[in-house]
Amino acid sequence: MRLRGRHRRADLPGMLAALDEAVEALDGRADKAALKRAREVSARAGERLRLSGEHTVVALAGSTGSGKSSLFNALSGADLSPVGVRRPTTSKAYASVWGTEGAAPLVQWLGVPRRQTAWRHGSTDAFGNERLSGPDTELDGLVLLDLPDHDSTVVEHQHEVDRLVELVDLLVWVVDPQKYADQVLHERYLRKLSGHASVTVVVLNQVDTVNPFAAAECAEDLRRLLDEDGLRRAPLLTTSARTGSGLDALRSLLVDAVSRRRARNDRLVADLEDVVERLVPCVGLDEPPGVGSKERSRLVDALSSAAGVPVIGQAVAESWRLRAAGSLGWPPARWVRRFRPDPLRRLHLKGKDRREVRHMVRSSVPEPTPTQRAQVDTALREVCDRASDGLPEAWQRSVRRAAEGRSGDVKDQLDQAVVSTDLGVDRTPWWWKAAGAFQWLLVVAAVVGAGWLAALAFGSYLRLPDPPTPDAYGVPLPSVLLVVGVVLGLLLAWFGRMVARAGAVVRRRRAESRLRAAIEQVVTSLILEPVEEELERHRRAREALDRARTG
Amino acid sequence: MAPGADTSALLAALEGLGEQVVELRLPLDAPSAESGRRLRREIADQLEDYVLPRLRRIDAPLLAVVGGPTGAGKSTLVNSLVGHRVSAAGVLRPTTRAAVLAYNPADNAWFEEARILPGLRRVTGDGTADPSSLHLAPSERIPAGLAVLDAPDIDSVVTTNRELATQLLSAADMWMFVTTAARYADAVPWEFLRAAVTRGTAVAVVLDRVPVEATEEVRTHLAAMLTDHGLGGAPLFVIPETTAYEGLLPPDVIDPVRTWLHGLASDAALRAAVVRHTLDGAVRSLSARVFELAAAADEQAETAAELRSEVDEAYDAAVRHVDAASSDGSLLRGEVMARWQEFVGTGELMRALESKIGRVRDRVTAAVQGKPAPGADLAEALESGVEALVRSAADEAAERASTAWRARPAGRALLGDDDLRRSSPGLQDATARAVRDWQTFVLDLVRDQAQGKRRTARYLAFGVNGLALMVMIVVFAHTGGLVAGEVAVAGGASALSQKILEAVLGDQAVRSLAEQARADLHRRVSELLEGERSRFTTRLDEAAVLESAGSALRASVQDVEDSR
Repeated sequence: MRLRGRHRRADLPGMLAALDEAVEALDGRADKAALKRAREVSARAGERLRLSGEHTVVALAGSTGSGKSSLFNALSGADLSPVGVRRPTTSKAYASVWGTEGAAPLVQWLGVPRRQTAWRHGSTDAFGNERLSGPDTELDGLVLLDLPDHDSTVVEHQHEVDRLVELVDLLVWVVDPQKYADQVLHERYLRKLSGHASVTVVVLNQVDTVNPFAAAECAEDLRRLLDEDGLRRAPLLTTSARTGSGLDALRSLLVDAVSRRRARNDRLVADLEDVVERLVPCVGLDEPPGVGSKERSRLVDALSSAAGVPVIGQAVAESWRLRAAGSLGWPPARWVRRFRPDPLRRLHLKGKDRREVRHMVRSSVPEPTPTQRAQVDTALREVCDRASDGLPEAWQRSVRRAAEGRSGDVKDQLDQAVVSTDLGVDRTPWWWKAAGAFQWLLVVAAVVGAGWLAALAFGSYLRLPDPPTPDAYGVPLPSVLLVVGVVLGLLLAWFGRMVARAGAVVRRRRAESRLRAAIEQVVTSLILEPVEEELERHRRAREALDRARTG
Repeated sequence: MAPGADTSALLAALEGLGEQVVELRLPLDAPSAESGRRLRREIADQLEDYVLPRLRRIDAPLLAVVGGPTGAGKSTLVNSLVGHRVSAAGVLRPTTRAAVLAYNPADNAWFEEARILPGLRRVTGDGTADPSSLHLAPSERIPAGLAVLDAPDIDSVVTTNRELATQLLSAADMWMFVTTAARYADAVPWEFLRAAVTRGTAVAVVLDRVPVEATEEVRTHLAAMLTDHGLGGAPLFVIPETTAYEGLLPPDVIDPVRTWLHGLASDAALRAAVVRHTLDGAVRSLSARVFELAAAADEQAETAAELRSEVDEAYDAAVRHVDAASSDGSLLRGEVMARWQEFVGTGELMRALESKIGRVRDRVTAAVQGKPAPGADLAEALESGVEALVRSAADEAAERASTAWRARPAGRALLGDDDLRRSSPGLQDATARAVRDWQTFVLDLVRDQAQGKRRTARYLAFGVNGLALMVMIVVFAHTGGLVAGEVAVAGGASALSQKILEAVLGDQAVRSLAEQARADLHRRVSELLEGERSRFTTRLDEAAVLESAGSALRASVQDVEDSR
């Protein structure tokens, strides 16, 4: 019988690197125990890969009194491990090393005490004597461990077994007809090793204690239990350390395993697959849909409203109209404007002060109302829900955290965005000045006309002869000047007002769309980009896990 | 317990305790719940299977249960005692799956009825593998006054076996603990022995399958281990490994055990002493374990309270949030005004006009006070305002409560696969409905308040609006505009209207109106959020954790202690 190795030789270093990457990406977003285990496996695999690949570490594990030590001694051909009737017997692991080249660091890594380790070159036996039967090189590269029991009243033994079971390349579970159906063995160990069937061997030892028929029956029943444990592929041997039956089969299985040198990789790959399987649910199978454009624009809307964009838009329109009135209004009535301060200035959004010390200025846009805040919250929640739809809960939470991570900056940045956006109201159209000058000209004309008329009136009051008055189209020039000056001035003011109103609407729209763009930028950099980064991290974790799984 | 003492008080107290233990529910996955449930089952089983039947009939035959690890040879031992195969022995593990009871036919009456182990069906004839049955095997070779019960293994991979073995052992007057030379140091059996010590059960140990050459060493070691565990006084029998494995043990090998059993059976006083020792120990051990169980019950109540307070915290915060948001005035004032307009009956035209007047009015006040004019576009529709508030608050609370519950195993179990991190899907409709109802309520309020003053109110409303129009013209003349075209631009006249409202109803009435409207909104929002909250609390209610369960248990134990 031989081990049924894995079909494929996996690229173990690549898989380990991928696992490390996945673990790094999953940090804080996956089951802690699974991550811890993954880190352990990765570290251990790295250590093992650095140690001798020429050696295969095989451990004999099993219950107290199942004859592990007898088997160990029989295989190594010397009484290394004490065999006794007093239970439990072996308290520390014993090791026997065949082919010692490069094995010392490995044995040290395994933590087997030096004095419990036997070193043998092909041609010497356990005691360093020349072998009589000639060099035994078949087993070169084997490190055989005899583990303590896992089920006795001495708890330290169990810890030692648990430690070594994690380290060795090939596990040989030794059971006997009395206790092959123990709960501890199956539930604590074998069931958990179902992914390690390619590096697990079960040996039914002490078959000499029952009759051959019963032994076969036992083996059959054990096979059934193993199948239930998920160890269908693990070979089952029957041996008797006392009579020596079945030892050759075990030995040749070991020889085969050692010569193929695959157990180390198979074991590590099985470990790796085990942790990857545990990590897969932490990542989920679905790719998240990402930030939806509908949710995105809703969030921008909500934040725009909260940042006071409508208020500013109105102020822009108002400001524009006021300035137009200042430039184009009828000059005698322009003084009224002084009663109406520019709304933009009141919002701290106007003038030189803003442009010069932009980064130090805060606007006076009103605080958002509770409703607006609620709308922002809901929009943010919708963005996160949509972006992380279908992800495991931990990731949904982390996406949410990412979205809210810089919420402290959001208010400030929004204000900065509002302050630093060019609202497009600073420049004055060229024709305003011309129209304004013309208005003054008309006023001058009206004043001249009025003065002239007044002089004429005064002259006629004094009964002076009327000086000749030029006329235009039969109407006296002063009257023309006065009437045309006033009427044209008022008409021009009215026209200017109409034009400014249209211009205010245009400027309001422009200002609002600029503000919205600026706010969208803030939203993108402070909320959506962190979310996208988190989703990217998820993608990285998923892909890395995929690579770790497929090699 | 003094011999012959009246046990009826103790029996009644124990029966009371038994009922409580059986009725105790530990539905929440608190840290101690798992062990608590096991403990509850164990205590109930021990009371039901052993303590109560034994107390009722103190003179019933002594029940010795043969227990031990898988493959120790328990069935072989029982078969050998009986003299023929009553219990299947074999190499396949586990061998015994159902309990076999061997007793003298003279004791038939004691065992055929369901006095002990009432949960097991009585079966006679050939062996059965049904773990819920008790196979009766009367035999002349067993002395009268004694019964031997072959239990399944305590450490087998088959779960039902382990459970049955535990149940049988808790029904024993005496344990005959069988182990072997190969496995006498196994951890699991020793846990059972420790339990026997704490329960005060009498124990005899049979060391089976001992290789002859190792007898002395193993025996000494085992005896030392027994002494270490407080079982120094337990009889220890050694049965050497024999070739007659499959059949019965040779008579000379089994003799010491048989002799001892016969001695025990024939000496009524000794037998009674064993029974009392075990019974006394069982009752004594009960109180400590019931206290542990009571602690688990207390923890249930605590966990339930904590889970509830987490939900309450989240939803109370939500209600507070909505309250705070609605108390800043913008929500309520707008709403009261809207109802007022409806009541006064100025209708759409007036509202439109008002909004235009308001624009001018705002400009005037803004010009005078130097404050920015509020944007008309900014005023959200009220309905969507309240809705947005409630929804956001409910979402927040659901997320908070759900996260808090998810952080605990008990909460996780209660939530199951349900995702409660968002408010329920029907909330939005319910909120809209509640807001509409509230608007009706406010309208009724205004109507009640202003019933007699309707004419004045309408007159004033029109009048003031007319006045406002005039003011606007004047203002426009001043701003140097060309007047009438400006009428087409507008805002919201609520403050002006509020003045009318106050003029008509009085300042105090308006304030109380707003107060009542606020209180009603609070009530409706609380109701809505209550519905949301109940998604969590019903789960807790369904778990039906009794707060007083722990103290009731302790009181019952006190009763038992008092009547001992």
